[in-house]
Amino acid sequence: MNNDRSAKQAAAWPGVARMTARAVTALFGGYAAAAALASLLARLLPIAPAEASAWGMILSFLVFAGLALWAFHERRLALVAAAIWGSALVAGAAVVLMGARA
Amino acid sequence: MNVRPTFPASAPAPAPPARALRQSMAWIHAWLGLLAGWILFAMFLTGTASYFRPEITQWMQPELRASAVPAEQAAQAAIGHLQATTPDDQQWFIYLPDDRTGVTRVFARAKPNPEKPPARRPELKLDPATGQPLEARDTRGGEHFYRFHFQLQIPHPWGRWLAGVCAMFMLAAIVSGVITHKRIFVDFFTLRWSKGQRSWLDAHNASAVLALPFHAMITYTGLITLVAMYMPWPIKANFDKPDTFTTAAYGAPAEAKASGRPAPLLPVTPMIEAAARQWNGDRPRTIVIRNPNDAAATVTLLRATAGRLNARPDSITFSGATGQQLSRSPSPGPAIAAAGVMLALHLGHFAGPALRWVYFFMGLTGAAMVGTGLVLWVVKRRKPNAKPFFGLRLVERLNIGVIACLPTGMAAYLLANRLIPADLPGRAELEVKAMFWTWFGLAVVSLVRPARRAWIETLGLAAVAFAALPAVNALTTDRGLIASLRAGDGLFAAFDLAMLAIAALCGLAALKASAKPKPPERRAAHAGQPAAPVSKPAKARENADAL
Repeated sequence: MNNDRSAKQAAAWPGVARMTARAVTALFGGYAAAAALASLLARLLPIAPAEASAWGMILSFLVFAGLALWAFHERRLALVAAAIWGSALVAGAAVVLMGARA
Repeated sequence: MNVRPTFPASAPAPAPPARALRQSMAWIHAWLGLLAGWILFAMFLTGTASYFRPEITQWMQPELRASAVPAEQAAQAAIGHLQATTPDDQQWFIYLPDDRTGVTRVFARAKPNPEKPPARRPELKLDPATGQPLEARDTRGGEHFYRFHFQLQIPHPWGRWLAGVCAMFMLAAIVSGVITHKRIFVDFFTLRWSKGQRSWLDAHNASAVLALPFHAMITYTGLITLVAMYMPWPIKANFDKPDTFTTAAYGAPAEAKASGRPAPLLPVTPMIEAAARQWNGDRPRTIVIRNPNDAAATVTLLRATAGRLNARPDSITFSGATGQQLSRSPSPGPAIAAAGVMLALHLGHFAGPALRWVYFFMGLTGAAMVGTGLVLWVVKRRKPNAKPFFGLRLVERLNIGVIACLPTGMAAYLLANRLIPADLPGRAELEVKAMFWTWFGLAVVSLVRPARRAWIETLGLAAVAFAALPAVNALTTDRGLIASLRAGDGLFAAFDLAMLAIAALCGLAALKASAKPKPPERRAAHAGQPAAPVSKPAKARENADAL
């Protein structure tokens, strides 16, 4: 390891913890948010339920990728966590409350 | 050069938003590629080989010779065999031959018996013309590469989940990579014709960038192939039972119970002809017969998908006792059709020979892109005259172990097919073991060599292994290259020639790795690429900050 690194490393733990939180939010939160948003789209699209579900599934990975990348681009971790976990919770709750169509 | 994550947020200079986006995307691109790169390389390489899945299987059973037979004849011959052996089964699955497989495969499921559960029967290979069982060496054939490329030889469902995570990393790496390399769209539209050398250069650049849509397509459609597993939630949002979705999307499956009244099973030829009239002349690829010789028997025909841009087969179900058409799968809506087309784009079954080779080469560019990215990671972070830090050595060793050793493992799988006695019990598993023991064993052995020598020697060994294949094939079968060329056997001749071409490619790579002049000890990895840190110090520093 490099010599100038040890001092930095001692102070880096909060940074490591924040990075871990960010990565967990991107990977698991991003998946949860993409699943919830895709489900909400599938539930709300005014077309045949099977078609709506298929559109939700097809688009979900794009949403996931976008959210995950944004989680690493946006510097404010609190905003990232709030937006991703929040949208997962809100959209997920909406889908559960509305119930299945068929 | 840090392996420890330092987020660009800690970079001192505040940057304008556009540049900050490119910086953060470059940072995440490197991490995504680094974490998933080795698995992605293996997925790309074995997946690319899978475009020739039936051909590899044919090569691995040299005892069998394909014979072209109309679907009607093959179906009736297979049913004749099943009627003679197991007429009281619950279900028969018949996979008809096409111009790439050459044998009929059947699988029969016995009636459930609560007292004595019937043993699971193996799948049989039948002669398409006569319906007689064919004897051939036991092998997993091209199916092994195909399964490995999305299951990674890890128990279900974890292998598929890991492959899915890596595919998501790939998707995010492509998006962030496009943002990082802003010149990509310029390159895409730069092709000046008839300007001599200039045009060659432009064509070269354009083709490199042209592969990008393929990589993006293959990654996204790969996720779609297992979407029902990865992302079932939009189905659950609309349907209480997943079966309701399946019925709404693809039509009701035939699952009538046996009536108990015997009734002879009608010939399938009129049913195939009736289906072909509704399918613009297409024949079925798969036939599923439920409750044969029962009054409630059903015959479901699944349309062949070769030549069609939707990989979800239509199906028509007939009554096996009366010949009446009972049901037909609904024509899909835009979203279901889009998913079917994405599936087809990934599998490439629709592609004829020429387009299949295009798929193959595009797939190789995918493996090359991932591989060069991994090598680049090492090259960028290596400082001349400095001892490489632990992470650098780890990544370099993993690069050798995957990029240079996996091809030898794949060659070992094919060599084992010819060298393990054809009648040895359990030989199919031994072939698979040969691949992984060779791959991982070679990766471990290469650790004792200096990195540069390890690159040269493992790549050279891959060249030798692939070059040995046509020789071993000629020595152990009567279908060697010369015999195949004489007999006009295009598949076997092309296979041997392809192995020689791959051997040449590996040899060239080994040569490139050895050509680097000194101080080579720790610079051999990038085989011919200009040393980025030396030629572009400013950029290297920027990237060092970013990672």
